[in-house]
Amino acid sequence: MTPVSQPSAPSRSSTPAEPQPDALLRSEGLPEPQPGAQLRVSTTTSAAELEQLRRARPRGPHRRSPLAQVGVRLALVLVAVVALAPVAFLVSLSVRSTDDVLTGSWLPGSLDELAWGNWSAAFRTIPLAHMLANSWLVALGSALVTAVVAVPGAYVTARAGKRGARLGAALLAGYCAPPVVAVLPLFFLLKEVGLTNSVVGLALVNGLANAPVAVWLLDSFVRRVPVELEEAAWLDGLSVAGGLRRIVLPLIAPGLVAALLVCTFLAYGEFLFAVSFAQTTASQPLTVGLSLFQGDRTVQFGQQAAAALVGVVPVYVLAVVAQRWLVGGLSQGALK
Amino acid sequence: MSGTTAAAVRRVPRWLSLPPLVAIAVLLVYPTVFVVAASFTRTTLARPLQEWTGFANLTSALQTEAFAGSLVRTVVFAVSAAVIATVLGTAVALLLRARGGGFGVLGTLLLLPLVTPPVMVGVAWKLLLAPAGGALTSTISSLVGSPANPLGSSTTALGTLVLIHVWQWTPLVVLLVFAALLGVPDELLEAAALDGAGALRTFTAVTWPVVAPTVLSVLFLELVVGLKVFDLVAVVTSGGPGLSTVVASFEVFRTGLRGDYDVGTAAAMTLVLGLIVGVVTAGVSALRARAARAEA
Repeated sequence: MTPVSQPSAPSRSSTPAEPQPDALLRSEGLPEPQPGAQLRVSTTTSAAELEQLRRARPRGPHRRSPLAQVGVRLALVLVAVVALAPVAFLVSLSVRSTDDVLTGSWLPGSLDELAWGNWSAAFRTIPLAHMLANSWLVALGSALVTAVVAVPGAYVTARAGKRGARLGAALLAGYCAPPVVAVLPLFFLLKEVGLTNSVVGLALVNGLANAPVAVWLLDSFVRRVPVELEEAAWLDGLSVAGGLRRIVLPLIAPGLVAALLVCTFLAYGEFLFAVSFAQTTASQPLTVGLSLFQGDRTVQFGQQAAAALVGVVPVYVLAVVAQRWLVGGLSQGALK
Repeated sequence: MSGTTAAAVRRVPRWLSLPPLVAIAVLLVYPTVFVVAASFTRTTLARPLQEWTGFANLTSALQTEAFAGSLVRTVVFAVSAAVIATVLGTAVALLLRARGGGFGVLGTLLLLPLVTPPVMVGVAWKLLLAPAGGALTSTISSLVGSPANPLGSSTTALGTLVLIHVWQWTPLVVLLVFAALLGVPDELLEAAALDGAGALRTFTAVTWPVVAPTVLSVLFLELVVGLKVFDLVAVVTSGGPGLSTVVASFEVFRTGLRGDYDVGTAAAMTLVLGLIVGVVTAGVSALRARAARAEA
């Protein structure tokens, strides 16, 4: 058991939600601020703290009976199993024949007769490759739109006092409204400008729709940039917009990465706008393609699972690689 | 927090607000105006806003058998999913904190449901719960001793969708509440232990006051997410069996953009739904603000 008196990690602040001078230290593994920003300031304190905590205190802060510790661990293993089971079942399904699946077992009946053909068949049943490309075009294009809206937006909400608060409230209202409210009006708007059945149209709509989320996440990152840095830049003749670009933007980069990742995932998985505005196969993203599998009379277990995995695996890879930013950005941006 | 001086506030140029204002105009203001206008006029997909029809659309919406039920289902879905996810997620976050250390491998695993697109979540669970071939249904069947088909019965289908939604959205609660738990000072916990406080007493006296604002924020967030539910219903049940899983978003969609393409009625439904969501979120939001003031 770790003694209670073990010293805690050196620069851990007691309240992660509140910035403190020593909490603004840079942690390793995060991207270098762009040249021009002389102070090495990072705003992903939470991710850094998690890391420090993991290293400094592998056993937990308090004495507990060994039995209680075993119980806690068992419960967490159960949580992990529940979190993973549906995805694991997809993997299992994707290499099994329908006959094998209909036995109702979780795992393939025999490892010698795996039906790898499901994967290639899925690409033939729906234009999977094309739809996957559409999905990523929509997701990345929309992230670009979101960035253009959210960076100035977050700057205003964080820095413009009452005016900023009003903008924040309006954006929150936009986020709370169910997207279905906008579906019919946007359908007519897109039709008017010729952007129905269009990847560009979907990217624009998703980019604007996700902007409130990005502003919400970025706001606290902007607030942590010392306004004195900007004031110094203004004295040197930089405009406010210039200061935003040259001083603030490099310092909020970790938050921006997190916010845009979240918005990329949201746009990538978006379904309602896609199924409403994209009626042609050429413009449909993967989420619509997957829903089309449902029309079949016989359930194509293996193919459906393979197609879903084709869509999900890149997201998982990205999420795991960028975990540090995602966790830091979400936990810090969303907690105010 | 770096103080923003009044002079600095004045210096923020107004044009910086322009991009977010465009977003608000396109996604909130224009749709609201359009929906109100379409609710009181004859509108088809080919030609919107043809002529004034008074309350005909609203009457037709409220007389639609599925619509009133769909509103109730949406609220039931959102409230139960938000409460279950928040309680479960807070419990898992407390377990993680009790284990000690950081997120570790479990944190990585928990990110996966969160980043899975809802359509893929729906596909996975629909296959898991298929009456023939679904591994979960066959496991449940062998446990209870009779064939189980939770998505096939109108009494259990909506509840099953709630649980699927909870599977996806609980990890967000874990993530945010765990981050807040790291803000509970160790010294306080140690002092409580020295004073002989048990786990429950420590939680109510030390931990809860620190994390309560976060838990309430997360509950609100989960409520908003739940009120938007569409994808799961569209992919997993298409509203069935019968009308038992038709939620409001799905009802608007199938009225206006499928079947008879009855845009006017769908617009009137949207208007009612928007009002209800507005009242619910504003109410909860006000309660949350009051709770926050009480804390301070």
